Amino acid sequence: MLWPLLRCQKARKYLKGTSVSFVLFILSNLMRQKIRTGLTVLGISIGITAVVALGIFVHSAKVATEGLIQAGGSDFIIGRDGSADLTLSTVTEDEIAAVSAYEEVEYVTGALIAIFGVGSSPFFLQFGIEPEALDFFEVEILEGTRLSPGATDEMLLGNSSSVGADLGDTIEIRDLEFTVVGIYDTGASMLDGGAILPLAAVQEYERKPNIVTIAFVRTRPGTDIESLKARIEDDYPNLAAAATLDEVGDIDQGTQILDAVELGISAIAIFIGGIAVMNTMVMAVFERTREFGILRALGWRTRRIIQMVIGESLLLCLIAAAAGSLLAIGLTQLVILFPAVSSFIEIEYTLNVFLRGLIVGVSVGLLGAIYPAYRAARLSPAQAIRYE
Amino acid sequence: MNDQAPVIDVRDVVKTFDKGLTRALDGVTLSIDKGEFVSITGPSGCGKSTLLHAIAALEKPDSGEIYINGEEITSKRDLSRYRARTIGLVFQLHNLLPNLSASENVQVPMYEISISPRERRKRADELLGLVSLQGKEKKRPTQLSGGERQRVAVARALSNGPPIILADEPTGNLDSKASLQVIELLKNIQREQGVTLVLVTHNASIAEAADRAVHMLDGRIESKAED
Ligand SMILES: Nc1ncnc2c1ncn2[C@@H]1O[C@H](COP(=O)(O)OP(=O)(O)OP(=O)(O)O)[C@@H](O)[C@H]1O
Ligand SMILES: [Mg+2]
Repeated sequence: MLWPLLRCQKARKYLKGTSVSFVLFILSNLMRQKIRTGLTVLGISIGITAVVALGIFVHSAKVATEGLIQAGGSDFIIGRDGSADLTLSTVTEDEIAAVSAYEEVEYVTGALIAIFGVGSSPFFLQFGIEPEALDFFEVEILEGTRLSPGATDEMLLGNSSSVGADLGDTIEIRDLEFTVVGIYDTGASMLDGGAILPLAAVQEYERKPNIVTIAFVRTRPGTDIESLKARIEDDYPNLAAAATLDEVGDIDQGTQILDAVELGISAIAIFIGGIAVMNTMVMAVFERTREFGILRALGWRTRRIIQMVIGESLLLCLIAAAAGSLLAIGLTQLVILFPAVSSFIEIEYTLNVFLRGLIVGVSVGLLGAIYPAYRAARLSPAQAIRYE
Repeated sequence: MNDQAPVIDVRDVVKTFDKGLTRALDGVTLSIDKGEFVSITGPSGCGKSTLLHAIAALEKPDSGEIYINGEEITSKRDLSRYRARTIGLVFQLHNLLPNLSASENVQVPMYEISISPRERRKRADELLGLVSLQGKEKKRPTQLSGGERQRVAVARALSNGPPIILADEPTGNLDSKASLQVIELLKNIQREQGVTLVLVTHNASIAEAADRAVHMLDGRIESKAED
């Protein structure tokens, strides 16, 4: 990422004369106030931890949701446009029928999703589908049997569910009792942490007759999926079709809110971190006023003085970014120990979230350095030498 | 030597502080030849440091001109280059950067001239040898005696081979033996390398040892002692 910057002529000119020993000089300046440097690094790294850890969770949650959208052989899903949360979307059976009437649509099936505490699991995902749709969702039965057609008191349990029941056990959901007839695996972490029940049963205890949460659509080979989605949305303005996670934002505004929260937290981290770094660097510049005077008297250009201050600030923040990223990994590993979390998402680390931590760190370093560097550059050398 | 134009030619320089209330330099005229050793004495507050700072282009005079090798410096734009290459400075106190070794301190001015880090280190170690500090290259200022520290400062002043050395009470807080060592060192460099040396001192016997002793009072040059 820095390489194109270094190749830019102007940047190279600006960095002229920087060398390993200059960087070591900068580092040794930071090490002179170990406690202050340490505390500043700690403060900034906490902000970066928040940014990175949140990024990891949001990404992992998105991957889990994506797993759900792409469950089985579906090309896209259909939900109610503008729903606050995916689980609050409602699609009627009439609307499903209307979608299935499109020529390009090969198969549509609805799923009613409910999430609430069952047994020892605080957020237990219940996926109500037509028993015939098990094949469509590529549900692999590991133990026991499938749901029998027409059954209303049977359920299948995901292999990573934390509800604490086994094959043959009965589980009470709302006022109804269900017998676990099979254990399954789909590969989608959200589904595997919950249960699959007959659609009719979920509709009954959720008091949502003839309603599903979302519909899964498979098209005929050779279909232009984009234009089909657009046509459905045109014909039925209340519906939104989503093939990718980005499009799910229309049905699940929660993901959009999460994106906004991420951005907000990054901005706050930059702002607060910037002030902390500024404070530290202003102190460093003031207490070393005489040294700055000596450096100027020995012929150092203001440019190099600025480089030194910005360099110290950046190095401080890069250390904080590294520490914050490690803390974030530790934190996410800790949180994933809770079944409530692990039954929903699998933690996934992407370069992107760490890059964001780095960007926050660099921004903090640059922002915090502006004023101190300006002060250092403005010092009159003669005045600075006389400074005691 | 007499036929040559002076290396340092200060003409009627005035420098005031506190909105003109303090006249630190009140019309100073002084010319110094190439290779000359000039000492400056005078009571505290008479403007000695201010004069050196003006010559080193650290302080801009209110009026008057300063010619260095025939070139006027008060209106020069790139003062850093001038400070780095033409002037070698030695101060009295807190002269070295405390977190750098002796060798690294000597290298500080070399950052502004384009030489390789290896060359920089080599030259610094040579200069430390010149001031009899071989073997102490890696020592921090706190691990050196006061006299040794000032010798590091002298080596640093020489690092870019400047034709002029300005020393502002370099022996101020040293005992007489250490003072003598530092002064001898400066004199040797002046003699052997043809460097022009301007030395501010309170010590009368050191001042006498110069080619020319200049006395200052209230921002003016009082009298010129003949030698
Ligand atoms: N930055 C400044 N602001 C205000 N007054 C100053 C400043 N620098 C010097 N002065 C004043 O200018 C006068 C000359 O100061 P200078 O430091 O040149 O004296 P000096 O001869 O070097 O004294 P000393 O022997 O004590 O070092 C003094 O009255 C001093 O207070
Ligand atoms: Mg003085």
